[in-house]
Amino acid sequence: MDKFEEAFNKIIEKDRKVEPRDWMPEKYRQTNIRQISQHAHSEIIGMQPEGNWLLRAPSLRSKQVLLAKIQDEAGHGLYLYSVAETLGISRQEMIAQLQSGEAKYSSIFNYPTVSWADIGAVGWLVDGAAIVNQVSLQRTSYGPYSRAMVRICKEESFHQRQGYEIMCSMAFGTAEQKEMAQDALNRFWEPALMMFGPHDSDSVHKGQSMEWKIKRESNDHLRQRFIDRTVPQAQYLGLTIPDDQLKFNEETQHWETGPFNWDEFWNVVKGNGPCNQERIDHHIAAHKDNEWVREAAAAYAAKTELEVA
Amino acid sequence: MKITINKEEAKFLVRIADTSLILGQRMAEMCSKGPYLEEDIAMSNASLDLFGRAEEMYKIISKIEGNQFSEDDYVFHRNEREYYNIKLVEQPNVDFAWTMVRQYFYDVYAKEVYTQLLQFENSEVKGLAEKVLKEIKYSHSKSKNWLYRLGLGTEESNNRLQIAVDHLLKYVSELFNWDDLDKKYFINCDQIETQWNTEIDSVFEEINIKRKEVPPLSMRDCRDGFHSEHMGHLLSIMQYLPRAYPDAKW
Ligand SMILES: [Fe+2]
Ligand SMILES: [Fe+2]
Repeated sequence: MDKFEEAFNKIIEKDRKVEPRDWMPEKYRQTNIRQISQHAHSEIIGMQPEGNWLLRAPSLRSKQVLLAKIQDEAGHGLYLYSVAETLGISRQEMIAQLQSGEAKYSSIFNYPTVSWADIGAVGWLVDGAAIVNQVSLQRTSYGPYSRAMVRICKEESFHQRQGYEIMCSMAFGTAEQKEMAQDALNRFWEPALMMFGPHDSDSVHKGQSMEWKIKRESNDHLRQRFIDRTVPQAQYLGLTIPDDQLKFNEETQHWETGPFNWDEFWNVVKGNGPCNQERIDHHIAAHKDNEWVREAAAAYAAKTELEVA
Repeated sequence: MKITINKEEAKFLVRIADTSLILGQRMAEMCSKGPYLEEDIAMSNASLDLFGRAEEMYKIISKIEGNQFSEDDYVFHRNEREYYNIKLVEQPNVDFAWTMVRQYFYDVYAKEVYTQLLQFENSEVKGLAEKVLKEIKYSHSKSKNWLYRLGLGTEESNNRLQIAVDHLLKYVSELFNWDDLDKKYFINCDQIETQWNTEIDSVFEEINIKRKEVPPLSMRDCRDGFHSEHMGHLLSIMQYLPRAYPDAKW
């Protein structure tokens, strides 16, 4: 072991942060790039299912709340891309990887939002699950990523609260509204739980990531925290969690769920979800349609620089 | 629900509120469709400002009208013919040039409109105008900057900009078809037109864009609630939920 590696190991061991200027194993760098860029892509692709209801938001207030939320997600994406850039990859490269399918994003965004209640469910469950994960990542070993999580979590908890607020007005509203709320929960419950990834017994990347303290808590551990937090919230709404095996274990003080449909999960990850193609097509179309704008901006910048010089 | 607006002051102000709202809705369409992430965020910002200023103005209108209707009633329960926004702002986002020309034309116009509202008798309108002017100053410098980039960037961007300008100019003369209400509440209608023409002409000259002659148009006026065909589609999307579920509270 050379002295660089020794210094790196010491940082990890002492629970300090790895900074961009520090030496790090190539695999550590690559793992972080993969995880951070995947996180950034999720923020960006996540704008689409929510944007789907932006023009149809039912009040001036909800329109502004939703638009501000989507804008926050764009900001998170931007911020995370710049965090990944500190590891030696450009935003352009990352976007090319997203568009070619080489890079993944959270599979949850491959599900459609088909009613206004879905906007509530996404804020409540998807942002809710994201918070549990991201709070844990505040202690991740790569400094810039850890600091990004601290900043982002504050906004995510707003998003979750606002989503839950929509669920409240739907669940306590007219019979039709309540029906929409239940339907949204039915469709988003299991996909939200699967956002935490495969069970610990089946997780591939787990070992090394935990050793390097990139990941601080296991998938199942985080998922359980989310379930315990969310079940009472559903009960308060008077909605039924779509799991007839769900029960509270008095001994462990945890909620226990039935088995998940992992076949569907892997099928959606593989690209066969309801909206995988649409999400990427949308991203590519926006990128291509505006190529001339980026060219113009670059040409103008070059010309004006020349004049100044 | 039949929405009525009775007071002259409210009738005048609703034109301004509607213009903000409809442009905000059009700008919101650009969410996740920008040329890059920074611009996406900027367009959401512009849209948020526009919705915010519409909301404040509807609140003032509601007060003037004796709180008969809420700001959401005005937004979600009026038909096309009961909307009074300028047609310019309901024009679609054909490409980024349309979006920016529409925004720039509006910003130049709105800058003078809100400057005159600083002298408005109603102090709430005055207060709002003060706040809005800060937003417009920023938005105006941004949209103007884009006109320079597109006008002087590449041949393609200049062409696209010229096409957008040619189309959107058609909806400009309406801005200055002042009626009695305008003359009553604006301090100087002609100045709005002169300012607009002066700035546009000088900028166009610098960015190699021609201002074509627009012949007299046989088009009914927004002040009487007339719109282009785009408006109905915009409203049917925007108003869908409250119309489909009239008993629901959101
Ligand atoms: Fe986010
Ligand atoms: Fe969020």
